[in-house]
Amino acid sequence: MEEKDRKKHHKKHSGPKADKKRKRHLNDLGLGDDEDARKRNPKAFAVQSAVRMARTFHRTQDLKTKKHHIPVVDRTPLEPPPVVVVVVGPPKVGKSTLIKCLIRNFTRQKLIEIRGPVTIVSGKRRRLTIIECGCDINTMIDLAKVADLVLMLIDASFGFEMETFEFLNICQVHGFPKIMGVLTHLDTFKNNKQLKKTKKRLKHRFWTEVYQGAKLFYLSGMVHGEYQKQEIHNLGRFISVMKFRPLTWQTSHPYVLADRMEDLTNPEDLRVNPKCDRKVSLYGYLRGAYLKNKSQIHMPGVGDFAVSDVSFLPDPCALPEQQKKRSLNEKDKLIYAPLSGVGGVVYDKDAIYIDLGGSHAHQDEEEEVRPNHELVQSLISTHSTIDVKMASSKVSLFMDSKPLGSEDVENQKFVMPKEEKQIDLKTGRVRRKAMFEEENDDGASDEEEGQDEEMSEDEMDGGEGGDGDDIEGESDKEVPGQELGLRSAKRLKREETTEETAVELPAFADSDDDLEMSSGEEGETDLDESKEEAEDHGDEEESDKKESSGSDSESSSRRISKFTPLPHKEDKEQRENHNLDHHLGKKVVPTTDSGNCTADEASESEAEGSSQDEEEEEGSNDDLEVEESNRKGIQSAPDKNVDGVEWAELKTVEEEEEDVENLLKEEEEYGEENDFSADTAGALKWKEDLTQKAAEAFLRQQQSAPNLRKLVYGTVAEDADEEDDADEELGGLFHVSRPDKESRQKANALDCSKFPVETPQDWDLDEVMNSIQDCFVTGKWEADKDAAKLLEEDEELYGDFEDLETGVVHKGKPAAEGDEAGSEGEEEDKAGKEPKLGEEEEKKKRMDKKHKLKEMFDAEYDEGDATYFDDLKGEMQKQAQLNRAEFEDQDDESRVQYEGFRPGMYVRIEIENIPCEFVLNFDPHYPIILGGLGNSEGNVGYVQLRLKKHRWYKKILKTRDPIIFSLGWRRFQTIPMYYIEDHNGRHRLLKYSPQHMHCGATFWGPITPQGTGFLAIQSVSGTTPDFRIAATGVVLDLDKSITVVKKLKLTGFPFKIYKNTSFIKGMFNSPLEVAKFEGAAIRTVSGIRGQIKKALRKPEGAFRATFEDKLLMSDIVFMRTWYPVSIPAFYNPVTSLLKPAGEKDTWTGMKTTGQLRHERGIRLKQNKDSLYKPIVREKKHFNKLHIPKALQKALPFKNKPKNHEKKAKPTKDQWRPAVIREPHEKKISALLTALGTVHSYKIKKAKLNHHQHLKDYLKRKHKEEEEKFKRQKEAKKKLFRIMGQKEKKRQKSSLKGSGEREK
Amino acid sequence: MASQPHSLSYVGCNFLRPRLVLSTLSGRPVKIRKIRAKEENPGLRDFEASFIRLIDKVTNGSRIEINQTGTTLYYQPGLLSGGVLEHDCSPHRSIGYYLESLLCLAPFMKHPLRIVLRGVTNDQVDPSVDVLKATALPLLKKFGIDGEGFELKGGGEMPRLSGRGWKMAIIVILLPLQVLLPLPKKITRRGMPPKGGGEVIFACPVRKVLRPIQFTDPGKIKRIRGTAYSVRVSPQIANRIVDSARSILNKFIPDIYIYTDHMKGTSSGKSPGFGLSLVAETTNGTFLGAELASNPQGQGTAVLPEELGLNCAKLLLEEIYRGGCVDSTNQSLVLLLMTLGQQDVSKVLLGPLSPYTIEFLRHLRSFFQIMFKIETKPSHEELQGGEKVLMTCVGIGFSNLSKIIK
Repeated sequence: MEEKDRKKHHKKHSGPKADKKRKRHLNDLGLGDDEDARKRNPKAFAVQSAVRMARTFHRTQDLKTKKHHIPVVDRTPLEPPPVVVVVVGPPKVGKSTLIKCLIRNFTRQKLIEIRGPVTIVSGKRRRLTIIECGCDINTMIDLAKVADLVLMLIDASFGFEMETFEFLNICQVHGFPKIMGVLTHLDTFKNNKQLKKTKKRLKHRFWTEVYQGAKLFYLSGMVHGEYQKQEIHNLGRFISVMKFRPLTWQTSHPYVLADRMEDLTNPEDLRVNPKCDRKVSLYGYLRGAYLKNKSQIHMPGVGDFAVSDVSFLPDPCALPEQQKKRSLNEKDKLIYAPLSGVGGVVYDKDAIYIDLGGSHAHQDEEEEVRPNHELVQSLISTHSTIDVKMASSKVSLFMDSKPLGSEDVENQKFVMPKEEKQIDLKTGRVRRKAMFEEENDDGASDEEEGQDEEMSEDEMDGGEGGDGDDIEGESDKEVPGQELGLRSAKRLKREETTEETAVELPAFADSDDDLEMSSGEEGETDLDESKEEAEDHGDEEESDKKESSGSDSESSSRRISKFTPLPHKEDKEQRENHNLDHHLGKKVVPTTDSGNCTADEASESEAEGSSQDEEEEEGSNDDLEVEESNRKGIQSAPDKNVDGVEWAELKTVEEEEEDVENLLKEEEEYGEENDFSADTAGALKWKEDLTQKAAEAFLRQQQSAPNLRKLVYGTVAEDADEEDDADEELGGLFHVSRPDKESRQKANALDCSKFPVETPQDWDLDEVMNSIQDCFVTGKWEADKDAAKLLEEDEELYGDFEDLETGVVHKGKPAAEGDEAGSEGEEEDKAGKEPKLGEEEEKKKRMDKKHKLKEMFDAEYDEGDATYFDDLKGEMQKQAQLNRAEFEDQDDESRVQYEGFRPGMYVRIEIENIPCEFVLNFDPHYPIILGGLGNSEGNVGYVQLRLKKHRWYKKILKTRDPIIFSLGWRRFQTIPMYYIEDHNGRHRLLKYSPQHMHCGATFWGPITPQGTGFLAIQSVSGTTPDFRIAATGVVLDLDKSITVVKKLKLTGFPFKIYKNTSFIKGMFNSPLEVAKFEGAAIRTVSGIRGQIKKALRKPEGAFRATFEDKLLMSDIVFMRTWYPVSIPAFYNPVTSLLKPAGEKDTWTGMKTTGQLRHERGIRLKQNKDSLYKPIVREKKHFNKLHIPKALQKALPFKNKPKNHEKKAKPTKDQWRPAVIREPHEKKISALLTALGTVHSYKIKKAKLNHHQHLKDYLKRKHKEEEEKFKRQKEAKKKLFRIMGQKEKKRQKSSLKGSGEREK
Repeated sequence: MASQPHSLSYVGCNFLRPRLVLSTLSGRPVKIRKIRAKEENPGLRDFEASFIRLIDKVTNGSRIEINQTGTTLYYQPGLLSGGVLEHDCSPHRSIGYYLESLLCLAPFMKHPLRIVLRGVTNDQVDPSVDVLKATALPLLKKFGIDGEGFELKGGGEMPRLSGRGWKMAIIVILLPLQVLLPLPKKITRRGMPPKGGGEVIFACPVRKVLRPIQFTDPGKIKRIRGTAYSVRVSPQIANRIVDSARSILNKFIPDIYIYTDHMKGTSSGKSPGFGLSLVAETTNGTFLGAELASNPQGQGTAVLPEELGLNCAKLLLEEIYRGGCVDSTNQSLVLLLMTLGQQDVSKVLLGPLSPYTIEFLRHLRSFFQIMFKIETKPSHEELQGGEKVLMTCVGIGFSNLSKIIK
């Protein structure tokens, strides 16, 4: 049995033992692999659970994508503007000290007082503009918008102050610049442990506000009133390597943090009205985006203005030129802070001082003789000699129409810088300005001596506001420009260029002028012909023309125009000459016509079109015909080569002149032929003079671009401006309005975008057809795209292959010119033949091939990995590259035309109509920001916001309470209405903003792009201990109308009730009103719903309504309606900069009703009905129940009121007298009662006793019983056991007996 | 108040459309004086009034003041609102006149625009709906204006030009019901001058910003498509047009298909007429269009269909000769959209600038202070038609101020 049961041995198939065995076995076989299969064949084990796999995949992808930022085109200019470093903190925390230390660290200069921004060169690639931010919330808001880096100073001995948090919150709203904390006053801690603790506490708090791991700097203590040098050095290093991320608002808007201000108002106007609006020029680095001239800007604290003029100036604080050295030269460590008096000029409230250099200031005696110490220094540093300067300055003098004598200069004594320095405050300023104006008018003043010139130069600088003198002196190129007033400089430059062009390409200018002239004449002829135009138009156009040829460019252009005809006369015979003259005479028509067949043509064709048609059919006037033919001749020729023919230019180059003339003549002839005979000749003509045409094409290429530009935009904008100015200067009688000048087309012509074909080409001719054959896929392709060529190349690459089936080996074409397939011998041969050329070519070919192969490889292997994100990034990068490259090679003048002023430029912005308070109350401590506005951002409309009350602000905001918003560049007061959006999209008015929830807000104010953050404060004046930022949020929508509604319930009362129909009155006043609401749902207070049906005739305003149930007369019916709320159109910019100095933080606008009531002690008059009164409840009195007799009868007896007759008073006999006991009796009865009491007590006690006894007895009894029962049980048990044993025995014996029997 | 940007002032009724459009986009008010002041019938014409009404419909809060004689117009723009609209265009100018301006404005609405325009679909003056659909819509797509609900239906059916499955198989619609039906292959309502009676639906999604484009290689023309339509005339006329047009075009390229489209009954509008529109598509997605329509009934001499076909084909060749990446009618559109792009460089290669474009450029400068860099690119040795102009600009960083964000 045992053996059978034993299990058979099963070999282990799994588990470690089996694995071991298997391994051994495999090892024995020699197949053994050290790695297990999992390692050997990971793919086989890769997926165990598809779901899990998918999840892990998703997760990794999620994590990866989370890291991505939306790529943006990098628009930072090559030479970026200085980084704006804002030093912020509560008062007495050490802001100024820090700035001074930083400046000293970077420039080795010590500034005594810092006012306004200070620009310094901090490294080879970086400049900083450091500005201090006071505690005025206006300043904080403004500077947070322009800051790139914020140095947040915290007094460690005190801890955080409200200002710090406020500033952080402002930053969060307006785009978060880099924020670096700086802990100061650390030396006040005596206990090192406490210091550590404090540091840690502050750090963690700072991190929660900014971000985890935000940089916090510790300035441990002061040495001689300055921070420790090493610490400042480290801080400076941190600043100069810091990277900044672009902020949306800043990158999409141009802005200037002005570091210089000048009043340009005409002194006469000032004299007449000292409160007149001012014209001001502001200087600063342009940041953010491109700034266009004439665009709108906003000056926070002042208002909206249109830029009247922008110009760029040489950089006063330029980055050093590229150099190999790692560190900066001492010379390059520039500093520029005109408001603090570093740039040489100090602006005081009512005077301008020129600083002559700190340490040498005592050498005043010398300056009597020599003009200016700084100037001398600048002279030393210049690379050009004075002679050169003189020469260049003279050029400018020649150009000036009215040269000034030296006496003039002497007369204007205030011009001298020396004088300037000595004048007292009062005269200085006024005179300074006057001088500036003169400068503008006169251009350059004449000086004989170098010294004087230098002085004037200096003076100009002063007038302009003092660029760093040393910088100025350095480059000779800039000298003339800087010596003169700004405008004169510009003019000078332009004139120089015109002169240059005149020398180099005289004919070019001529042709242009011709073009213009003719166009002008054209305008005239047009006028004469049509005579529709008003007289003044003609005048304007004429003056226009004069102006274009006249004024300053007059001389040169005339010279040229005289110049050109000469060669004709020399070269040509009389006849030809005549021809030419004839042609020139007629040129009025052809040039304009052919001049790109544009506006002029259209207008002309408009005038002549009809006649032209008629002519062709009928043939009319001879003159006209000739003209016509001329026109045609000239047009048809260009049609083949050029469409817009810059014909006149052909004559421009003298060499070509002859040929061109011939050509012209021929064309003319051809034109005539063309007109009279068939069109056959044209084709042949076209083939002729191919070389000439090539030359022609080249010329066109050279010249047409500026011409086309001129055609479109007129003369270059600034030239035009100059001319305008000149004109104004000349007379002031003629006024040029631009549109008239521009629109050469007829003002009232047909408005159509189609470009009609004036002279259709004959598409039946083969030549004409051939001219476009390459436009089709069937035509010839460019070398790199031609299908045949590509195929060929492919063959070269992949030509070699072996057909495996047939075994035929195909060889690629042995490349004709030294492919690699070519044998060496061949190559050598070739090398012999074409020594270098062939080799190079070969090399190139090889390289090409290599590139191609690489590209293909890349395409196959790299591209597969590229994600959407990578593509997007690549695209952006490409765009950025293109942006940089496109205008790189152009000079700034023309670049500015195309792009606008690019960020990084130092610009001068002129603004007119600035309130006089801005100048009068100018305080350099307050930042002046010029924020550019986008299109229609200067308009006002309704702005919808998502708003949330700030969690630290103590109150909630009330609808219709005026509040100050900071949105975009602006700070303004407006009246918002808060609303919440219902489920059905309804905007429902709220009385108060919710406590902890977002709500909507709408106000009337400046249109600002959606997604812009804003913050709201109740008041900008003074300081409150509480947190000032009331709410923050974002702009959602802009519109010109808005629907915010509030609930309105109309009530009425039924006056007649039928079954379910009732007549309701009191809800409306007229049937018309009812008609408006027919079908509207109504409801009673008790909840019966109904509908308005129709108006009743009487009473007025009553209507019939149906309900779902019958009404009661006591029911009140009401209808729920929504009433649109009007938003008050109140927009009040905060003009804090206009306040007098020292009071700039006291601006108050409209006050809230609450404030007014509080101030004037006006209590709100309450509605008496709304007052709470003590509730008096009257006692309710119920009447007796009265049951009618009939009912009484019907009632069963039980319920019948029992009519007991009132019992009569008991009669005397019924009346029983009271018993009065005797004293003895009383005693007896008292005794009896006492006895009774004793007895009853005894009985009670006995009863109790008995009860107790009984209880005990029962207990005892029970116990006994139990005992007894136990005993019995035991006895029974015993008995039964015995019985059981007996029984068992018996059974056993009986079983045995039977068993034995069985056996 | 934010100081109202100073308004621009113009004289004469010419370029009314671009002035109003640019004014709307730039937010600067515009004043136009002396509108036909010296004419016998002074003031604004019907079609201009209708255009102003249309502008009023698509904007919210704009103020329009016209003096009694209609010679002076002051327009202070509001914000573009869009939505589902209808407009009855004046039959004096075709729907193209209105549509051209709507194409400029539509991407910058608050709500996606879906407008039904009624009037003349094809005439001799303005670009027809067919051509605009075939040339302008692909152009808008290049700027990223694409997606659901971008379509122009109506006027006539233009064969599908590219096989990329656009949702623009163009068809005309009469009733809203028919919009839901699978697009019918034939024109339902086409209107010819002088009475019109056509109907067009234009729908366009809104965009916040536009993409910059670099569109300097027009590529080679790979196919020519077209529609010859005839309404209230013999159906044979369309076939005659096709034959004559093909006779010329076949010399250049074999891939030509010109659909014939004959309209009957109510869908044929109120006046008889016929015409042809052709569009050439290049390998790089450039579309060049040309079209010609018959003289309106009772005006001018009758035109032979053969002649019209030939002339239209020649017009197309002329357009090809001019070349560029955008055809002459859409030059101003592409320049405007480039202007309204991000602050990035955009480039486009154009044929010779049309007078309208040149004036448009000037307007662009006065409204947006933007100047284009204009370079002439002469055609080289190759036979590729006339001179081209390369236009380059930096966008002004325009963003759609009307769009709602949630």
